[in-house]
Amino acid sequence: MKNIFLTVIICLLFSACRKATTTGNNEDFGTLKQTVLNDFVDNVAIPQYQDLSEAALNFNNDITALNTGATEQNLSKAKESWRGLRTVWEQCEGFLFGPVEDDNYDPYMDTWPVDYVQLDSLMASSNPLNISDIQNLSTLSLRGFHPVEYILWGVDGNRTAASITAREKKYMVSLSQDLLNNTTALSNSWITGLGNFGKQVKTAGSGSALYSKKQEVFLAIAQAMADICDEVGSGKMAEPFEAFDSSIVESPFSNNSVIDFKNNIIGLGNVYNGTYSTSGKGITDLVAAKNVSLDNKIKQQITTAINSFDAISVSYELAIFNQRTQIRNTMQALETLQTTLEEELKPFIIQYITD
Amino acid sequence: MKVKKSFIITAVLVLPAILIMCRKPEAFNEDEIDPRLSGGISTVFDETSQAFTHHMQGINIRDLHVHGLGDSRFEGTFVTAPAPVNSGLGPVFSNVSCISCHHNDGKGTPSFGTVNSSMLMRISLKDIEDAHGGPVAIPGFGLQFQDLATFGVQPEGKVILNYTDSNITFPDKEIATLRSPQYYFENTYTPLPANFNFSPRMAPSVFGTGLLEAIPEATILSFADENDKDNDGISGRPNYVWNPETERMELGRFGLKANTPTVKVQVASAYQQDMGVTNSLFPQESSHGQPQYDGRNDEPELPDSILNAVAFYVRTLAVPARRNVTDATVKQGERIFTQINCSGCHKPTVYTGVDVTLSVLSNQRIHPYTDLLLHDMGDALADNRPDFLATGKEWRTPPLWGVGLLQKTNGTPFYLHDGRARTLEEAILWHGGEAAGAKQKFTQLSTADRNALIQFLKSL
Repeated sequence: MKNIFLTVIICLLFSACRKATTTGNNEDFGTLKQTVLNDFVDNVAIPQYQDLSEAALNFNNDITALNTGATEQNLSKAKESWRGLRTVWEQCEGFLFGPVEDDNYDPYMDTWPVDYVQLDSLMASSNPLNISDIQNLSTLSLRGFHPVEYILWGVDGNRTAASITAREKKYMVSLSQDLLNNTTALSNSWITGLGNFGKQVKTAGSGSALYSKKQEVFLAIAQAMADICDEVGSGKMAEPFEAFDSSIVESPFSNNSVIDFKNNIIGLGNVYNGTYSTSGKGITDLVAAKNVSLDNKIKQQITTAINSFDAISVSYELAIFNQRTQIRNTMQALETLQTTLEEELKPFIIQYITD
Repeated sequence: MKVKKSFIITAVLVLPAILIMCRKPEAFNEDEIDPRLSGGISTVFDETSQAFTHHMQGINIRDLHVHGLGDSRFEGTFVTAPAPVNSGLGPVFSNVSCISCHHNDGKGTPSFGTVNSSMLMRISLKDIEDAHGGPVAIPGFGLQFQDLATFGVQPEGKVILNYTDSNITFPDKEIATLRSPQYYFENTYTPLPANFNFSPRMAPSVFGTGLLEAIPEATILSFADENDKDNDGISGRPNYVWNPETERMELGRFGLKANTPTVKVQVASAYQQDMGVTNSLFPQESSHGQPQYDGRNDEPELPDSILNAVAFYVRTLAVPARRNVTDATVKQGERIFTQINCSGCHKPTVYTGVDVTLSVLSNQRIHPYTDLLLHDMGDALADNRPDFLATGKEWRTPPLWGVGLLQKTNGTPFYLHDGRARTLEEAILWHGGEAAGAKQKFTQLSTADRNALIQFLKSL
């Protein structure tokens, strides 16, 4: 009996001494790298951009309905679909690289702040406000999400459907058509055209004109993830917070900023997990294959960051005055995640993805 | 005399130590230094589209905070005054934010008048200079042709840019196509003079400027060879320009013709001329005295704290590390770069001086590939618009660090002062004047050697 007991103990000790094995062999890891790139393009990026242009189409329909029937019901429907459009857009910001950046889609849609002085003179002018006139304006602060947000909510959020003037209606119709055009072009840029960016990503290291190695595109993805943490934590949140200034909050008319921020990080999570409407292989699988504890750490930090936004229970405009601890916690969570992505995920990619 | 044994032992041990201490420090050998560190100790390792956007490694938390404040303002879109944030755009301007032209802190797109255009047009009267030897403003237009305006305000006009193609055939029968730009001024709100000077400029990359500012003036002057005493066909001379902050003439380091003394003056003049945002260094609207002037009397529109933060941001943007430095082709290209004397102007290695406020800038061994001097680049590149001491044919040697990353940071890369070159090869082929010899040698290289040189440039 004693001997059996001893044998069991010794066996246990030896098995504890055994080196941790990595799951799968090198060949599997090589296949996985390609699968992750394919799934990032086909399961995450393209479906999200397609949803974006679909959400822009919804919004455009609701704006058209509000234009012809200025009822409170139509106004709230338009507001709701604006928020829906923002949700997808902010999630797409989890991977801000490629055409959205190189071809300036971002400033065409998301320029901030709204130029009140110019907007007033535009409304007071005899500019026909057709889509072509909007496209000819010399500043982008008169185009995109935020001027139309201003029309739908008004400065104080008390906009009524009846108070939207005929010229404002004309302007909002052109603005939503402009958003639809841009989101559609952005979506197509990943699928077709000269660039066919989706293909450039998928063929990284095997014929891509932009990425001569797979490592480069993985680093671009990781960098984009780190950058969105920085933009939200150190930019969009920190600036109004530090200045005690609610006038410099991102979506000030709709009070949508906290949701905007959270969706940015949800978008980052989608990229890491390779999952959007359908599940696929993500960077998580590559990391887990070589370093389970790093994968767990990143997943846990993403979850912590996303959940931390729920502690901010009032609009961001108010929270910078009376929920400063909660904001500080979120900014800290974002900084922690950003540091892990820059100081551990990027070196991981450099070490294990060398082709 | 009997010397104690212990004394001898001590002496034997201590003397070499003392002698070692007397030994003069020696420089490291080339092969002991990491060639990737183009920006010295603060070099950043990133080869993505964000490669130019990082702060220098090793700055302290307070400096990092100021850098961050400047970063967000660099990206901030300016709007018409009065506004709660980023107030003061226009009335006439070339673009709405720093980042609109300096895409990802790098270069941009060679076009005019659209929201993502990175070109501006400097203008001035012909054959006349101001009290400091600088260009003289055209009445009704100023020193820059602002082709955009806020709603309801008439821009100064429109610039039309066309290209004409021509072919160059290498001895090995390979053909390169160069596009030559032509500029036309249209729809001006009031007529321009019959004859005037103009110079198109594309926004250059802005990282690494803190290091360039930290190069001792004596070092830059030591590169100058105004009368070409060494007979290598390359002269190189400094520009001396007016600094409105110190109110004296200083060595020009920045701007495509070295017509700006410091990063802060560069940033301040860009705010005022490019965006119409007045500041303490340039307190007058660019449209002052013109019908477009808003008459708001709200100068300066930009607080000094923001001007300083943005200048600090630019000064502390890190230089990206080189890639593929051990690749045989790249190393061959590096040798050719020196052999055909590209390095005559594009100085590979320079040392910075001391900046007591920023240790990461101090005593750094950097690889900017510039001498910061003016060189005659020949007729084909000439803008024929003198700028302080720079003649109409002279341009400042641009730094080459980061040049291999432009495709990543910009989507499509463009090279030279006006973005006419679409490839590095085209950029080399445009070289003339003092660089004609090096260009000539480049065309006579074998296909493999030409490729090696390009691969070397792409590793920067």
